[in-house]
Parts: sequence; C-alpha cells; structure tokens
Amino acid sequence: MSSSHAKDTSFLGGRIPPEIESMSRNLKDVDQELFRKLLKAVVGALEGKDCRDILRSAAETSLIPQERLSHIIAGMHKLLSESCLRFLSQTLKSLFGLSFVIRIPEDFITDFSSVVFGNRRAALEAASSQKDPHLPTLEDFKWRVDVSISTSSLARALQPSVLTQMKLSDGSFHRFEVPVSKFQELRYNVALILKEMNDLEKRSILKIQD
Amino acid sequence: MTSVIKETQSIKEAVIYINAIDVNKFSRLISRIIQKLHLKEERTFSEEEEQKLQAALSLDKHALNLVLETSAFILEQAVYHNIKPASLQQQLEVIHLNPEKAEVFSQTWATAGPELVEKLKRNIFAPKKLEHVGWQLNLQMAQSSQARLKAPSAVLQLGIRSEDSEAPENVFVEFNHQQLLEFYNKLEIVQGQLDSLT
Repeated sequence: MSSSHAKDTSFLGGRIPPEIESMSRNLKDVDQELFRKLLKAVVGALEGKDCRDILRSAAETSLIPQERLSHIIAGMHKLLSESCLRFLSQTLKSLFGLSFVIRIPEDFITDFSSVVFGNRRAALEAASSQKDPHLPTLEDFKWRVDVSISTSSLARALQPSVLTQMKLSDGSFHRFEVPVSKFQELRYNVALILKEMNDLEKRSILKIQD
Repeated sequence: MTSVIKETQSIKEAVIYINAIDVNKFSRLISRIIQKLHLKEERTFSEEEEQKLQAALSLDKHALNLVLETSAFILEQAVYHNIKPASLQQQLEVIHLNPEKAEVFSQTWATAGPELVEKLKRNIFAPKKLEHVGWQLNLQMAQSSQARLKAPSAVLQLGIRSEDSEAPENVFVEFNHQQLLEFYNKLEIVQGQLDSLT
C-alpha cells in the first residue's frame, strides 16, 4: 500500500506541497455545495476570469471563517495548476490514491476529477500555456490584393501585389507589402513547415516514454 | 501616335549638342544611361566620370548636363508609353535628331527596353516591404505550466524593409499546428485571388 502511495504522489514532486496539506486539514465541515462553488471559482481564475464576486458571496454565506476558506482555495489552486494535467490523464488512479494520503473526502475527489478530465480541461491548458514564455502569435491577419495600373514611370504597369496587415498577440501591428514573388515564397515555406510538422507528429520521436 | 517628345527650347538646344557627338561614344553613353534608369536616386555618372566625359565629348558642364538629362528624358518617355523602337526613331527624327543618333536610341531601347520595363514593374511603392522569409520548426518538450508536451511549434521570421531604414526589421511569429494550418488556408485564399487576375 505504501509503495503505491509513493508512486502516486510522485507527480507532486515527491513531497506534498504545504498548500495542499493545509487544504486537506481545513476541509472538515465543508459541505459539498460550498466546495463546488470554490472549485468553480478557482477553475475560472485559472482560465483568466475575475471571480472575486463568486468568492465574496461564498465567503459571506458560509459559516466557515475566511482564513480557512483561503487555505482551501490556495490548495485547490496549487493542485490544479501544478498538477501537470496531461500527466494526470495518463494516471487516473493518482487522484484516488491521493485521497488516502492527504485525506480529502472521496466526493471531493470526484469533483476534482470532473474538472481535470472534463471539458474544462482544454480551456485550462490553453490558459496556462498562454502565460508561459513564447514568441508572439498571430492574432489577426488581413490582406488585400492590389493591381497597380500605372505609375509615374510606367503608363501601363498592371502589376499585382499583396498588402498584408498582421496583428500579433503582443499588441504589435505590422502592415507591409508583399511582392508576388515573395508571396509565393512565403506560401511555399508555410506548406513545407506543415509537411514537416505532419512528419514529426508521426515519427517515433513522439513515442518517447513519459 | 502623338509625339511623346515635344520640341521645347531646351530640347532643341540638346539636339544640337547631341548631333555633334561622335556616334560610337554616344552609343556607349546611351547604353550606360539606360542601365541605370530604374534607380531613382542614383546619379548615372559620378563627379569624376562627368569631368572625363566633358573632356571626351568636348562639352562644357552645362552642355553635358543638358545632353545627359535630355537623353534620360527621351528614354523615360519611351518606357512610360512603352512605344515601339521604330516609332521612337521616327519621333526623334521629327525633332531633328540626325538619323544615326536616332538609330542609336531605338537600338538601345529595343535591346535593353523590355528588361527595364520589367524592373520598373517590380518596383512597387510601399513604405514597408517583405524582403525575407525564414523559419524554424521546434518541438516543445515542456514549459513551466506543463511537463511532457511534445508539441511542434514553428517560428516564422519575416524580414521587413522600410523605405527609410538601412537594416530590415525582423518580425518573429510563432505558430502551433492548428494556427499554421489556419494561416496557410488564408494564404490559399489570397492565391486564389491572384490566380483569378491572370
């Protein structure tokens, strides 16, 4: 029993973080409804929403002192954000093993797993990956095809070109002209990268064991 | 076709000078001018070269300038209206350029003209132009919020040159698979538009 426990808690880094320990201590007398409210608020916060109102109303309507509530919320936050959601999906039993070690009632574990494995999971992952370091991504891409009919040097030019406008996730804004030849080059390169990505996703390098 | 070269006073003056120049020297001069015609800011001849020309063609500074400017003007008009070499020759004879000089113009125009038109067509006017496309494909293994990722991500480097700056500005954009696919689909739509033009 103890060896399987050791394996199950390994994903938390070997030692149970103090926030989670204090959460389990403070979960006494907490009813399911309150727990669910708090859990919902924490998930919302991880997705980037503002949940001060929900938390405030939960704190006001319950008999549990605010200090204990804050321990619970901190523990939930830690469990859900650090818990390597991807890993958890591969070792479902961990959460149940968890309940023996940190003494969270089994009902509460069910609630946790419904968050971790439910459809909020994708949104959580997307939100957390946004905060990690990355180069700006393309938020908006607008384009225009122009044909210049005549210029000061040519009465009849009839030359097409593409005007591109890119808004990036870091707020920067780029508007530039793309000559037709460069556009072809861009298109070719993007297709090439897509092909490489497809190959990469199929190759055995992805079968690296976790 | 109406004449593209009106016989103004300065044209008349220039014609007199041009007619006096040796035809071989003149031929080389015109070839050089047409080669540099597409470069807006550059002078065709450096100070030194102009001085040598003055000596070689026995023209003073004012006369040489007039000859160079008029020759360039004639060629620019030819490009602008895209007139045929024969038509150019005819029009030059109308303004009293002697036949051998007119022939020099139309010969040079016939050989170097089409290339010049192509170059000018490609000279698009824009404050910023895409000059260079580079890319890098990475496999992201982990990040601070998630371990064990294995997510491919591509970084596109766009070298954008501004009209007024020396060095191009590099814009880096990151894409995951889905984002890159969406981007590619948009590029395909643009391509469809370009295709419908031809």
